Amino acid sequence: MPPLLQLSRISKSFGAVRALNEVSFSLEPGEVHALLGENGAGKSTLIKVITGAHAPDDGRIEIDGRPVEALSPSHARALGIGCIYQQPALFPDLTVAENIALRLESASPARRIRWAERQAQAKELLHKLGAEIEPSVEVRRLSMPNQQLVEIACALGSGARIVIMDEPTACLTQKEQHLLFAVVRGLRAHGAGVIYISHRLEEIFALADRVTVLRDGTSIGTNRIDEINEASLIRMMVGREVATIYPPSESAPQEKLVSLRGLGSREGGVHGVNLDLRAGEIVGLAGLVGAGRTELARVLFGITPADAGEILLNDRHVSIRSPAEAIAHGIAYTPEDRRKHGVILEMPIAANVSMAVHRILFPGTWLRFDAERCLALDAIRDLGIKTTGPSAPAGSLSGGNQQKVALARWLATKPKLLILDEPTQGVDIGAKSEIHKIIRRLAAEGLAVLMISSDLPEILGMSDRIAVMRGGTITTILDGKADAHRVIAAALGQSGKEAA
Amino acid sequence: MTGRSPFQSVSKYFRELSVAAVLVVLLLVLAIAAPAFFDAPPLFSRLARDTPTLVAACGMTLVILCRQIDISIGSQFAVCGVCAGMLAAGKEPAFVVCAAPLLIGAALGAVNGALIAGLRLPSIVVTLATMVIAREGLRWTQQGAFVNLPDGLQWFGLAQRSGQWALIAFALLLVAAMAWVMKHLAAGRFVYAVGSDAEAARLAGLRPQLTTFLVFILMGALTGLAALMNLVQSPQVDPKSGTGIELKAIAAAVVGGVAVSGGRGRLWGVFAGVLLLACINPALTYLHVEAYWEKAIQGAIILLAVVADGMRSRKAREAS
Amino acid sequence: MEDGKLKTGFMLSPLKNWKAGLFRHETILLAVLLAEWFYFDSVGRRFGTLDNTFDILRHSSEIGLLALVMTPIMLTGGIDLSVGSLLGLCAILFGKLWRDAHFSPGLAAVCTLGIGAVAGGLNAALITRLRLPPLIVTLGTYSLFRGLAEAITRGVDTFTDFPASFLALGQDRLGGLPTQAWIFLSAAIGVWLLVHRTTFGRSLRAIGYAPEGARYAGLPVEKRLAMAYVLAGVVAALAAIIYTARLGQAKADAGTGYELFAITAVVLGGTSIFGGAGSIHGTLLGVATIAVLSNGLVHARQPREVAGMLTGALLLFALASGEVSKRLAKFRAHRHSPNPATPVSASHSP
Repeated sequence: MPPLLQLSRISKSFGAVRALNEVSFSLEPGEVHALLGENGAGKSTLIKVITGAHAPDDGRIEIDGRPVEALSPSHARALGIGCIYQQPALFPDLTVAENIALRLESASPARRIRWAERQAQAKELLHKLGAEIEPSVEVRRLSMPNQQLVEIACALGSGARIVIMDEPTACLTQKEQHLLFAVVRGLRAHGAGVIYISHRLEEIFALADRVTVLRDGTSIGTNRIDEINEASLIRMMVGREVATIYPPSESAPQEKLVSLRGLGSREGGVHGVNLDLRAGEIVGLAGLVGAGRTELARVLFGITPADAGEILLNDRHVSIRSPAEAIAHGIAYTPEDRRKHGVILEMPIAANVSMAVHRILFPGTWLRFDAERCLALDAIRDLGIKTTGPSAPAGSLSGGNQQKVALARWLATKPKLLILDEPTQGVDIGAKSEIHKIIRRLAAEGLAVLMISSDLPEILGMSDRIAVMRGGTITTILDGKADAHRVIAAALGQSGKEAA
Repeated sequence: MTGRSPFQSVSKYFRELSVAAVLVVLLLVLAIAAPAFFDAPPLFSRLARDTPTLVAACGMTLVILCRQIDISIGSQFAVCGVCAGMLAAGKEPAFVVCAAPLLIGAALGAVNGALIAGLRLPSIVVTLATMVIAREGLRWTQQGAFVNLPDGLQWFGLAQRSGQWALIAFALLLVAAMAWVMKHLAAGRFVYAVGSDAEAARLAGLRPQLTTFLVFILMGALTGLAALMNLVQSPQVDPKSGTGIELKAIAAAVVGGVAVSGGRGRLWGVFAGVLLLACINPALTYLHVEAYWEKAIQGAIILLAVVADGMRSRKAREAS
Repeated sequence: MEDGKLKTGFMLSPLKNWKAGLFRHETILLAVLLAEWFYFDSVGRRFGTLDNTFDILRHSSEIGLLALVMTPIMLTGGIDLSVGSLLGLCAILFGKLWRDAHFSPGLAAVCTLGIGAVAGGLNAALITRLRLPPLIVTLGTYSLFRGLAEAITRGVDTFTDFPASFLALGQDRLGGLPTQAWIFLSAAIGVWLLVHRTTFGRSLRAIGYAPEGARYAGLPVEKRLAMAYVLAGVVAALAAIIYTARLGQAKADAGTGYELFAITAVVLGGTSIFGGAGSIHGTLLGVATIAVLSNGLVHARQPREVAGMLTGALLLFALASGEVSKRLAKFRAHRHSPNPATPVSASHSP
């Protein structure tokens, strides 16, 4: 029997960046095939090729043994390819039943709606999933995990035979995870194929039949799950010697700058956070998606109010209720979503760099273009930003250089604590290492750095200490020289108790 | 979980029920303080005179559900009315006189729709421009002249009272039909989906641009229908008629619970809103408050309704 | 792997590249304005005279003021539909303060400015405190302010017989120019400086381009937005005073339809409806274009209505051409370095 899906030597480039390099991948009927790889390895590009959102530059796609040319999203759907993304694409103001119905029903406008059938269908699908969601509730009112379950119900209902799940358990509780595993096994029993993307090795070993590791756009290897172990997988993911890529630590940590004691925020979903941050030290904040890392950063930066515990700055209690207050206390934050929050693409570099220091650079509210230009030129020189000049719009820069502009903006505030949220996400290799060197240098100059990253080698290579978050709190603090296993294990909660 | 408890029904329809409650309270106040309000002949006159607003509000509901707005319907109304009047004065057959305003309204709506859905221009500015173009164009050609209508056209040739009954009944039927379509026809649900999340709609294959385009055409046709219903109630067509109908329609929709952010709202809430607003002006008269406060009250009502909705969703956000 | 390149070639600084400068929005608008001027000069007999130019200045002062202050609001991605109605309300309140409360024109003017600030503050509070959408809030106040004006004057009351010293503001000349032109000029300079040379203006742009991003950068978003709407209220009141002085009377329907002209001038001048991009000099050119158009049409003996229709058509044209050029730029950007988020050769969604 031919494989459900066969990708042969797929290549895809975006400009100068080679996202996929002759990747071959196959999916058999009745199989769960896990796809593993760190950030930027090419997983999402591969998925987009399979779902028809991207056309490959080279290579062949075969479905059920038949070659497919020019795959489009609707064509892919028609061929039975269904994908469940992390961000559910549901209609917030409509009910669960209606959402499921709109996905599954035809798009012809002249049909008569049968509400009873819609309710029954939704009930049945949700029941199969074992989810306790009332079909007549508006999706707006559902929690994120429940919304994801609705998405899965849609995929179930559409009879997809090639089901792609992108980190589906990231936001699910233990009980919901078990339900999901049952669903996945059910799909497999029915002869469907599941491509399962996850960072959680435990799940992969529990569910998958085969696993493929991607690294830097290349497929490192495909193995049957009973022929491989965790250690080999991690080695395949990381690949190179970590120490030679990252700049070595130069400084010894100095005095305690910031202390978090029992910090919590109901709105932010974090609780009981205890952490000390020292000048000259890089603390890596690791954890899976949904563990609460960005939420913690937002509490520290004043975007989300804290309602429990305290923040101590030089042993003095401070309350931070807005970004302006955070900046005044010497805290800076480069957000995760660089294009939406980190830089303003349409404005020139100079304006971006000066955005957080208006009160200092422009006392009396008059803009001083010469001072601004000087600041920008200094930043361009210091951080090695490749651009035509300070008046070039930030959108004309590459991702790495945009990140440097974001950094420059915050460095201009002369912070004591710098929180970096995924500083090298979407940045090419060369710029990545430049940014790493900059971060090291900043730490050597006396900054305390809290670095949030989903890039395991980056955490391992850069951190003096690693704080691992899970379920909204810091569960473990490891030394920077800990190995990858311990970090992943802590992130999975294997060495500790799990949040229910 | 087969049936739903009464409490759950109330919370689901809370918005519409609260409008109905305010209406009932207002009617009670009138019943006590000014029972003359309920005298049959002037009451029916007023109800009949407000049927065009009801029809326009139905169309506006669809527009707002799509997360758009249309402030040009006042000018559309005038253009359709004058054209129909001129056709009638020119002794055209009845079905032409009746069909013309609908078609003209649909054409004007199509212009709006093409610019808004096709070129993705913001609806507020587009309809602001088309409103002025249509209004000034009409004034240019008509110079504000009234159009005299032939006798047979008034009240569709019926006696005044029967004519009023006919209009009211027709309007109610239309509302009921539209409410049914919005609930039970796929096309109606598509409007909700597009207004709730246009991108998700596109991904689901629902064609948001086409839906928006058609909604504006329908709005135009309903405006033409409203103009026709207004036409048959007097012996002349006033080219200034229809001024302010867009605000009345928007106010009724917003008061009736249609969310400005799209995707939420029920037609019978808008119906209650139309009734409520229609009662306010005569209520002022019967309660011996000067009628000049009507516009100010209308504006205040829009603001109050939006503020109340804003505060409710804020509380819901903080609770979750 | 994402590479966030965005080709924004048409936004490069014009001084560096004069060819790009030639095609900049304001240059094209200037060309249109000059074309209008020459056309009407040739067609209308009294058009190019100094007297007529002053007339244009007089008539465009009020709309010009409204357009000036609408620009910062639209730079934030918002809109204020209530400025015309507020003009009417302030005009009759000014008249009432003068006639019925016996204030001097000066005192009444100051109080009216205060009323304008309060009205603008109402918009500001609803938009920034309750986070309600500016469109529907200002639609409500559009109705509320006009309604209050009608209610206070019972629809018929007008205020006339202002002292000559006051009417000089709107009808006389000062140092060779119409008096209100000086006010308009000062306001234009003031708002230009505010938008282009202060941190306030910079913040407004940032809010327009990236409302959340501005917050993350530590900018006081709510305060800046509130200021913009309060400023609009104050300037609408100022326009009301000038209007009253020019016409010699204050009626409840003063300023009807002015919001359309203001918005048209702003959009014509290159300000994007979605916020961020735009300039005061563009708005001024837009005001001039519309003012010359309506004045010129009168001299060309065209009926009044044509001016309104053309203004509406101009607005649509300006909007559409902005959108079309944006799409063209995106299309060209795709061809050179494809954005990973959208496919180049795959067929498109239904």
